[in-house]
Amino acid sequence: MDKGLYVAMSGAKEMMLAQAVHSQNLANSKTVGFSAALEQSRAMPVFGDGFPTRVYSMTESPGTDFRAGALLVTDNPLDVALPGDGFLSVLDGQGKEAYTRVGDLHIDELGRLKNAVNQIVVGQGGPIAVPPAQSVTIEPDGTISFVPLGASEPVSQILDRLKLVKPNFNNFVKGEDALFRTRTGAPLEPDASIGVIPGALNASNVDAIGEMVSIISAARQFEMNVKLMNTMQEDDAQASTIMQMNG
Amino acid sequence: MHPALWISKTGLEAQQLDVSTISNNLANVSTIGFKKDRAVFEDLLYQNFKQAGAQTSQNTELPSGLMLGTGVAVVSTVKDHIQGNLSNTDNPLDWAVNGEGFFQVLQTDGSIAYTRNGQFQLSSTGEIVTSSGQLLQPQITVPTNTESISISQDGIITAMLSGNTTSTQLGQIQLATFVNNAGLQPLGANLYKETTASGTPTINNPQQNQTGAVLQNTLETSNVNVVEELVKLIETQRAYEMNAKAIETVDGMLQFINQVL
Repeated sequence: MDKGLYVAMSGAKEMMLAQAVHSQNLANSKTVGFSAALEQSRAMPVFGDGFPTRVYSMTESPGTDFRAGALLVTDNPLDVALPGDGFLSVLDGQGKEAYTRVGDLHIDELGRLKNAVNQIVVGQGGPIAVPPAQSVTIEPDGTISFVPLGASEPVSQILDRLKLVKPNFNNFVKGEDALFRTRTGAPLEPDASIGVIPGALNASNVDAIGEMVSIISAARQFEMNVKLMNTMQEDDAQASTIMQMNG
Repeated sequence: MHPALWISKTGLEAQQLDVSTISNNLANVSTIGFKKDRAVFEDLLYQNFKQAGAQTSQNTELPSGLMLGTGVAVVSTVKDHIQGNLSNTDNPLDWAVNGEGFFQVLQTDGSIAYTRNGQFQLSSTGEIVTSSGQLLQPQITVPTNTESISISQDGIITAMLSGNTTSTQLGQIQLATFVNNAGLQPLGANLYKETTASGTPTINNPQQNQTGAVLQNTLETSNVNVVEELVKLIETQRAYEMNAKAIETVDGMLQFINQVL
């Protein structure tokens, strides 16, 4: 039996995984702050004795598309968009610092500044808590100011500044909770060159047409692999009939 | 069967819910005091299929792994409490708040609800009530011999009584503000209820502490922007179609393998 069957099988199986990566991107084509996952196939040669034909394929996600998504203007004073390479610092489930572009912020019942998926936003002085305020504004450089409740004159006070970072994308990966971290997990330093656009959000950066094309391409590639498996099945069937005695 | 089928299914569900939100906004495009909703999406947990950095042989490691997401979910819908447009009416009991404050109304169960809908009326006993008959708080009773009623921007209600040359002060209305407006729970009928997320209300006279001025002969229209909603509707429909297409494609792959092999 020709072991090429397994090579074709690995091709088909890995194409199914590629399909899942693209489906995930499409499913999140409207998720605010979402960064698309990239997908590629890699040759995994397994050469032994004889003719070197055994090259299996492997689907992998070599990284994330870090481009900022289109701007979505909301006019909500607590919404921030991160243009360019900027990321916002938040606390993850373990209370460690992680990075995201989900910038629809709100103040919870304890006064903590959180984003829409309820991650606590980190400022340059640690997690941000807003005292009872008449109004809270975020400046384009990330400075958060507020007018305290009960103040006779609307004089705003500076509370903190959002910790905006500019990661080195070669060393920046998405975790299982959809937050980004450096490869070592070490926190990043704030970068003064990064600003925010108040009153706007980052739309998902998924290229929907590109993903559709990738899905179609993966489907056809899958079919070709299955076709090869079919051909090998026929070859084997033929081979076993050659030696049959005509009774 | 195949992860992509389920991932795309979550996409379809999320878009469907978004269409409901958009439809609700469009249905309330002329509801006085209505605040639009926005669905918040979140990408679900990722599954680590191949860990980046895993050893591929004694001396080599995988430079990049494969993490498959599990789709998308709608975490919440958020009310956008930005100010609606102000439109003029001829009714002296039509009031609008130009600021952050909410009118307080007494519900039948004795609790206070909050509203931006300033279409008030008089009850048979002369109290100022909402269009469904709930009392405005603090309670104000208008005498039967009132010729005209007026409210100042800071909330003082005065009436000109027949036979009098000077107006009589009837009371002072107060407005409630919240730390987190988005945390208010919509009850329907333009009413909101405080929750732990909204925080407790701060009661102030109008024009104090961000409550804003009360404007007579004015109503605050719905803050739904029709053009924006229609664009969102188009976007949602196309996203729905693309997710459906992804399911169809995967279905085609599975069908093909069943036929060919």
